[in-house]
Formats: sequence, C-alpha cells, structure tokens
Amino acid sequence: MAGATRTELVRQDTSGTDAVAAVAVAISALLFGLSIVALADLVSITGSVAGVPTVSLLGAMLVLLGGAVMAFGVGSRLEAVSTTPDTTAGLVAGVAAGGLWFAVGSGIGNVLVGGLGAAVVGLLVGAVAFAATVIPREDIGSTVPIGALPVLTGLVFLTGTLGPEWVFDLGWEQGASLTAEFVIPVATLFSAMIAGWAAAKAYGGFGARGRHLGAYTLVYLNALSIVAFLFVLVAFTVVKGVPGLLTGAQFGPGAGPSTTLGLFGLELSVRLPFSVPFVMNGVALLNDYQGVLPAIVGTVWLVVGAVLFAVPLGVGAAVFLTEYAERGRFTQAVEVATNGLWSTPSIVFGLFGFAFLVPRFGNGKSLLSGMITLGFMLLPLVLITSREAMLSVPDEYRDASAALGVNKWQTVRSVVLPAALPGVVTGVILGVGRIAGETAPILLTMAGGTFIPGSQTVDVIGGFEFTASPPFVANPELLQATSALPYQLFALITAGVGLGENVANPDEFRWATALVLLMVVLSFYAIGIAARYYFRRKLRYE
Amino acid sequence: MTADTERVASGVRGGLQRRVRQGRDFVDETEPAALAAVVVAVGSMGATFVGFLLVSSLTVLPFMVAIAAIGYGWIRHQDVTARVVTLMMTVSTILVLALIIVFIFMESIPVIAYESATVFGVSVPGLRMFIEPRWDAVSEPVRYSMVPMIHGTVMVTVIATAVAAPLGVAAALFLSEIAPPMVREVVKPGVEILAGIPSIVYGFIGFTILSPWASTQFDINGQGTYLFVGIVVGLMALPTVVSVAEDALSSVPESMKSGSLAIGTTDWQTMTSITLPAAFSGVSAAVLLGVGRAIGETMAATVMLRGVPRLTDPLYNVFYGQETLTSIIARNYGDADGLQMDALFVAGVILFVTVLIISIGSQYIEWRMREKFGGEI
Repeated sequence: MAGATRTELVRQDTSGTDAVAAVAVAISALLFGLSIVALADLVSITGSVAGVPTVSLLGAMLVLLGGAVMAFGVGSRLEAVSTTPDTTAGLVAGVAAGGLWFAVGSGIGNVLVGGLGAAVVGLLVGAVAFAATVIPREDIGSTVPIGALPVLTGLVFLTGTLGPEWVFDLGWEQGASLTAEFVIPVATLFSAMIAGWAAAKAYGGFGARGRHLGAYTLVYLNALSIVAFLFVLVAFTVVKGVPGLLTGAQFGPGAGPSTTLGLFGLELSVRLPFSVPFVMNGVALLNDYQGVLPAIVGTVWLVVGAVLFAVPLGVGAAVFLTEYAERGRFTQAVEVATNGLWSTPSIVFGLFGFAFLVPRFGNGKSLLSGMITLGFMLLPLVLITSREAMLSVPDEYRDASAALGVNKWQTVRSVVLPAALPGVVTGVILGVGRIAGETAPILLTMAGGTFIPGSQTVDVIGGFEFTASPPFVANPELLQATSALPYQLFALITAGVGLGENVANPDEFRWATALVLLMVVLSFYAIGIAARYYFRRKLRYE
Repeated sequence: MTADTERVASGVRGGLQRRVRQGRDFVDETEPAALAAVVVAVGSMGATFVGFLLVSSLTVLPFMVAIAAIGYGWIRHQDVTARVVTLMMTVSTILVLALIIVFIFMESIPVIAYESATVFGVSVPGLRMFIEPRWDAVSEPVRYSMVPMIHGTVMVTVIATAVAAPLGVAAALFLSEIAPPMVREVVKPGVEILAGIPSIVYGFIGFTILSPWASTQFDINGQGTYLFVGIVVGLMALPTVVSVAEDALSSVPESMKSGSLAIGTTDWQTMTSITLPAAFSGVSAAVLLGVGRAIGETMAATVMLRGVPRLTDPLYNVFYGQETLTSIIARNYGDADGLQMDALFVAGVILFVTVLIISIGSQYIEWRMREKFGGEI
C-alpha cells in the first residue's frame, strides 16, 4: 500500500485528494437541489441561470462530477491516493449500477432501434455495467461505471442531443410523451444521487469505512427529504390558505360579534376583539363574506361523539384484556380482530355505516351515524394504545396494591388506570387527530350538501327533547345530515366550476378550507405529541 | 389422522370442561344478588343488540334495563360488575368486526348472483366480474366488472410500495440506529405529523398542483395518472412503514449489536449484517402494513383519478389513471342504487378481504419474530 508508512492519524486529515472527493460530494448535492428546483418549475429548463443556459450548466456540472469520481477511482487504483479498498464493490453496488445502466441502455435502444431491440440493448449495457462494477477491485468498480453515467448524461445535455425542446412520443394508444422538462431534471437527479454516493464512498477511502460513509449520506439525505417535504407541504398550504382565511377579517377592540358567557346565573356579554368571517359565518345569499362555520361545528361534534363512543369501549376492553383475561384463544382472537379493524380501509367503514347504521337511525344520512362510524374507526386505535400503556405499568404496582388486601377492581381503578393514563390520553388524542381528517367514512353516512347555511349549524345540546313513545328521547339535530371540514373540502373540489355562484373567489375559499382542516388536525397532533413529552419527562424525573 | 382428530376432540372437551368448571366456580363464589344483577345486565344487553339488529323502536327498553342493572351492580358489587362490563366491551370489539363482515357480504350477494358465468357447464356466481373488463351501469348489457378497478388498485399499490418501502425502511434505520438523540426528537414527530395530514389535503394538493403539472409534462389528454396517485399514496403510507419498521429494528437485542461492534465492524456493517437480517420479518411486516394502507387509500385517489372504469392501454400505461376499488365507491355511492350499489359493496368486500389477509399475515410474521427472540423483548 502506498501510504503504508503514514499513520492512521494522518489519514484522518484532509489532504488534497480527499478534497477532490469532498468537492464531488458538494457538486452532487448542488445538482440534487438544482434538479428539484427545476422539477418544481422554479428554474426553467429553456431559460438560463447566471447567463448560462440551464441545460448546458447542468451538463457541465455532471461531466465535472462524473470526471472527478472516475479520476479518484483511477487514482486510487494507480496507488496515487491512499485508500483501503476491498477486492470487490459488492452486489449492491453492482445491482444499482446495472439497473441504472439498463434504464439508460433501453432508453437509447428505444430511440435507435425500438421494440424488443431496446430491451436487448438495455440488458447488454446493464450486464456490462454490472460486470464492470463487481469484477474489478472496489476502487475501480464503485467509481468508473457509476461515474461514467453522469459523464454520459452531461455530454448528452452539452451536445444538445437532448435539448430543451426534446420530446419523445411513447406511441401508446392512450398517448403520452416524455418531454425534456421532465427527463432532464430526473436524469440529473438520479445521476447526482448515485455519483454523490460513489463520491462519499471515495471520501471514506472505500472499504468498510467508505461504505459506511456512502450509506450514511443516502440515509441522511432521505431523512432530510422527508422533513423538508413535510415542511414544504404545510408551508405551501399556509401561504395559499391565509388570504382566503383572512378575507374580510378585522382586528381591534369591538370588531367582532358579541358573545354571551353565562356562569352561575351571571351573564357577561363580551365583544370579541377580532372578526374572522371565514370561520364565523355560514354560507348565505346576503353575507358579505362566506365561511365554513357549520363544517367546523360539524367536525367538533363528530369528534366528540366518536370519543364518547369509542373511549369507554376501548379502555374497558383493554382493562379486561390486560387485567382479567388469561392469555389464550380468546385474547388472541381479540388481538387479531383489533389489528384487522385497525387496517380496515376507511371506505369500508363507510360502506358498513351505510348498510348497518343508516337504516337504523332515521333511514337517512345523519350526524349520529357519522359519529358512530368514526367511533368504530377510533376503537382499535384506543384499544391498542391503552393496552400498551397498561402493559407498561410495572407488576410491582399491582402486587403492592394487592398486598393491601383490596380486590382486583380497586387495584385497577386506583393503581393501574392512573399509571396508564398518560399513555391512554396520548393515544386518544393522536387517534382523534386521525379520524378528524377522515373523509371516506362520513361521505356515505353523514355528509349533506356542499354549502350549509349558517342558520343550520348543528346545536346538539339544544336539540334534545323527550317524547311519549319509545325511544322517549329524540334529538332531530343528531338525525340530520350536516357537513364536516374534510367533506366540505371534498365537495368544494368536486363542485368545480359551479362554485363561482356562491363564493367570490372559489380558489381562495378552497385553500382556506384546506388550511382550517390542516390546522384543526395538526393541533390535535401537536397537543398529543406535547402531552407525550410532558408525561415522559415527568416519569423520568420521578 | 384419526389419532389427531381424537387428540383435538379431547383437547376441545378438556377446554370445555375447564370453562364449565370456571363458570361454576364463579357462580359459587359470587353473591346471589351480584350474580342476579350481572345476569340481568348481560341478558338485557343481548336483547338490546338483537333489538337493534331488528330495527325495533322498543330497543330502548332492554337498554334501560341493562343500564339499571349495571348501575345497581356498580354501587353494590363493583368488582364483579366491572369484570363483566369490561368483558362485554371486549366482546363488542369482536362483534364490530363480525358485523362488518356480515353486512358488507350480505349487501353484495344480489350482484354476485347477477354476474354469474358458466364454466364447463357449471354456473359460478360472481365469476363474470373477474373475467370481463366491462363496467357499464347505464347502457345494455349492464355489467359490473371489477377488473378495471383491480388493475387500478394494483398499479397504484405497486408504485406506492416502490416509493414507501425503500424510503420508509431507510428512515426507520435512521431513526432507530443512526440519528443522534437531538435529531431524532425532531424527525420522529415529523413523521408522525406526516401520518396526520388528512388524505383529502394530499388529494387536494395533488388535484390542483400535481395533476395539471403532470398533464403538461407528459402531453397527456386530460388529468389523472396512476403514476402520481401512486407516488402520493406512497408518501401517505410512508409513516406506517417507518413506525412499524422502527419498532422491529429497535426490538433487536442490544447484545447482538454490541457483539458485532466489538469485533471491529462499522455501524453500517452491523446494520446490514446483524440488525436488518435479525429484524427482517418485522421490517417485511412493516412493508406489508404499508401495502395495506396503500390499497385502502381513498380520497387522494378519488379526486386525482379520472373516474372512468376501464383498463389503460397498454396495461402498463402509468400516465393514465382510471379508477381504483376505493375511488369507485367514493365517486358513485351518491347516484347508485340497486345492483350498482351492491357492486360497490363487492368492491368493498375485495378491499376488506385483501387487507384483512395482509393484516393477519403481518401479525403472523411479527409473532414468529417474537418467538425467535424468545423472552428478550
């Protein structure tokens, strides 16, 4: 080995050759970002960046990147660079390189010969790439076939073979074409990613350490992309939704409608210091600004109903399963049933509610059917999380309580349930967040029209009345169809153009509805996650 | 063979005898008043259930009796009552699953009878739904074939799995093995929140942003592609894969990992040659559950697809999105009645059975994994 005289400590330093690999990693990161920006149409493929046509810029960078990767590999093989390569790059790298070159080969084959010939060319090219990766020593195998890919892509871009105006008709019965606007960024993206992986391996000096670095680069990139995706999604909805949400909003003392608070006979009339018509109005002909208040109230009642139905059932069943039942066929059957319920598609719950609940509650879509359908969905979530929480209560607690001579139920009530409460509460909140955003089950069981006038906002508490005939209690409010935020959004999407007659700016109205829905659901999640942290920290300090 | 049957029979008999003995002990030990309250509560709850099934307006009477009995028992004999009430709650969870099965199957019977096909002179009910690709509820001959929708669901699920499985497993590795605690505390809630974003919001963004974009990028007629529905559904299934796979990875005993690290491997070598193979069954269960999520995803598919139940041409044309099993239900429930509504229930049955099989399969895999590690988890 050329660097055998150098100690391990020296190798940790950044030498000139390491810098080459580091620069290659940096270029691929830059290209990755650029191609995503180009996919999002923020940078035009036909335009130019800093005076250079975009395609030529991408091509030049790709050639540079591939060249650097290949140069590093060859340098290492010629012992000019001190590395610790294995005898082979391994099957994973071989399959990756072979697969990508197969795609490139069949693409080229498709343009040149077409039909079955394309597959033959693809297979041939892929096989050569696979062999070139697996057979030579690792420093050649993991750089040259992979580095050649960005070089080829870059040359294709630079020579204009695949220019900004390139279109390839796939020639299918239902027509579709590949255009440069899509192919150029995607090819750049994949080339940059795989070259970045090879460069990271090279930077680590190949061998076990190099693979470690290469794999970590990809895994970190993946985690970063997921978080970035979430952030972009939420930020985008907020930016698009805020104008609609704040249409006609007023802030300042005395701006809002007055609300009466009553407590122990004392009544206090307060004028809210803000007015946001979008969440305070329904839809009416004479309204200045239209809003989604009935849908918000509908969602709140839905959640309340589902929780009232599912939480006692779920927690009770969890108590029986953890405290009373012996492990056996029965508990196993319940476990299979709950996991089955958990994974049952939401639309199937909707069908079930339609077939089972709707005929039994007034033969029409109703709030009550929606509540119970969502309750069925919430039940397995509550049961699973409560059960986990109760199982994690240490047996010492139960034994200590039993030693005091109390019966089983007293132990459960005063020891197990309080200890398991944090877990149960967190599970319920997260479960509620999930069902609050469900559309499919309420579609078939509860939802009424697209727009509900503000005067029809459900008033469940005021709706109860007693009757002389069984079932003695009636509540017409529960038995009428109403709206909820997720359904409202669905109805707004499907209503399409017809929306314009009701609201001034349909697009803003839709985005604002999406934003309100997102805010409602994410606030449940925020509360749930915060509660978990709070309880966990408390437990740790105890 | 007969010995086996006998053994099973004697086992069942023994089990029954044990049950009877337990029941008798329970009756002997419990005070008569408590026993009476409990029996009345259980009986009237059963009557309530039957009344509810029969759509009787008198259902409320046994329900009130049950509440009264439970109330009395709660005040006087809390221990026994609590036990019986929680048992009834447990039974109700199984009952819900049983009711779902019975009701969606029952509703789908008429159309299964209508779509009979004759094979070798034998009439097989429902077969025509799976051999002819025609769905037309309006013009003659009226046919309710499931083939186009099954094709759509398969296309979407394959693409979604290709997105969710590698990204999800990599993210699970990151969370359970690689991430420093600080980073983990940020990424993990992020993944959970990703699971919380309502599917209709994904669908809305897909419908307003992604579909028009895809339509210009690929020169497609109209909007709606299986490719982008699959990608969106894959992102929605991602959190399921991540959380289940992370559980599996972190359940691999620490001693195994330390043993590997102690002989001088890198972290990555330990992951690929110890942790991942050991947790392989758990990780594949995670991917299976992700597939289940993807199959059942409704709203994003409904708003992003075209809503024309036919096969794409050619079959692997991912740039045209027609209809899936879930979206046809959500789109057509409104104006469907009679046989067409029943056909939607058939779609529901296919979905339910597929996902239930996947769920049971992944539970079996997880159970096997728990067996393998014995008491260490």
